[in-house]
Amino acid sequence: MADKDYSSTDDQALVGAARQGDTRAFEELVARHRDKIYARAFSMLRNEQEAIDLSQEAWVKGWQRLNQFQGESSFGTWMTRIVINLCLDELRRQKRQRTDSMEAIEEESGGVERQMPILEVNPTAGLERTELRQRIDRAMSQLSHEHRTVLVLHEFEEMEYKQIAKTMECSIGTVMSRLFYARRKLAALLTDLKKESSKQ
Amino acid sequence: MNYEAQLKLQSFLDGELPENDAREVAAWIARDKQAAGLLAELRHTREAVTGYEEGIRLPESREFYWSKIQREIDRARPATAPAAPAFSLWAYLRRLAVPATALALIAIAGLVANRGVHGGGAVGVTEISVSDTEALTYRDFSADTTLVWLSYPADNEVAQNTPSDTLP
Repeated sequence: MADKDYSSTDDQALVGAARQGDTRAFEELVARHRDKIYARAFSMLRNEQEAIDLSQEAWVKGWQRLNQFQGESSFGTWMTRIVINLCLDELRRQKRQRTDSMEAIEEESGGVERQMPILEVNPTAGLERTELRQRIDRAMSQLSHEHRTVLVLHEFEEMEYKQIAKTMECSIGTVMSRLFYARRKLAALLTDLKKESSKQ
Repeated sequence: MNYEAQLKLQSFLDGELPENDAREVAAWIARDKQAAGLLAELRHTREAVTGYEEGIRLPESREFYWSKIQREIDRARPATAPAAPAFSLWAYLRRLAVPATALALIAIAGLVANRGVHGGGAVGVTEISVSDTEALTYRDFSADTTLVWLSYPADNEVAQNTPSDTLP
């Protein structure tokens, strides 16, 4: 029997079919949202292989919890929350394994971002999209995972401070402080990268 | 500018301030160049990262990526109990074949015996043994009656020595 063509079926109907055990319908959902789910994992983990593995784990969890999907948000948003939670668990696990965390030292010493001079020129002005993305890629990799996570949840997931605090199990003050640091550090890194590339 | 003021500026940018506070901060930015500069920097950074994820693509083919997910899904599925065999007409007919064959042979034997003695006045007696079935046919031409005596299966040895699933 030929496989059913799901390419024109909407997400809601695919979820319904997948709940009945139709893995072809679920495969179509994976195909539609895989880039977004992988991108979120990569933004948070900064490691290609880890992001692939974790995003696949998120899909398996999604399949197992399909009955919990109420349709209050879109299926893509629901899946994104699953992958974010898995990434947070993974980052916590990695942090526990690090005995001498540079991030902890950096955060404890604190205050660097408060004294940084204000950058009057937009470091990304005039850049092409690809180049801009490459620079942000490099700058993001230099942030600690706590700062990066707050930035990802706020800028990409569009969470409010309160939601981020709940997700990361910290205070709203910590969220504000980490977000401020992440933005200022990112601005400084992007400026440095601009200087580097103009020297070459 | 103190740290609290810096964070307030950021909250203003993110729309996290109550209306009254937001109005105050807007007025402050209008008269303070440094505050306006910091706000511009924070806004540039926010704009720079917007759309960053949209350019990220999964570095694996659809089939390869899906294959691992499918494997994990299949592994997590509970083992299904073997289903009860569905009704099969063929199996049903096969079960009927032995007694039906026996009965058919008996009927044929009856006919053969009938022909062999046709026209005579004597009583014809024929005995046929088929497998575990025994049958005796009596034909009384004077009375124009045929009697078939079946000893299938209860009277024979096989039936007595094996558990029977035949009709009584």
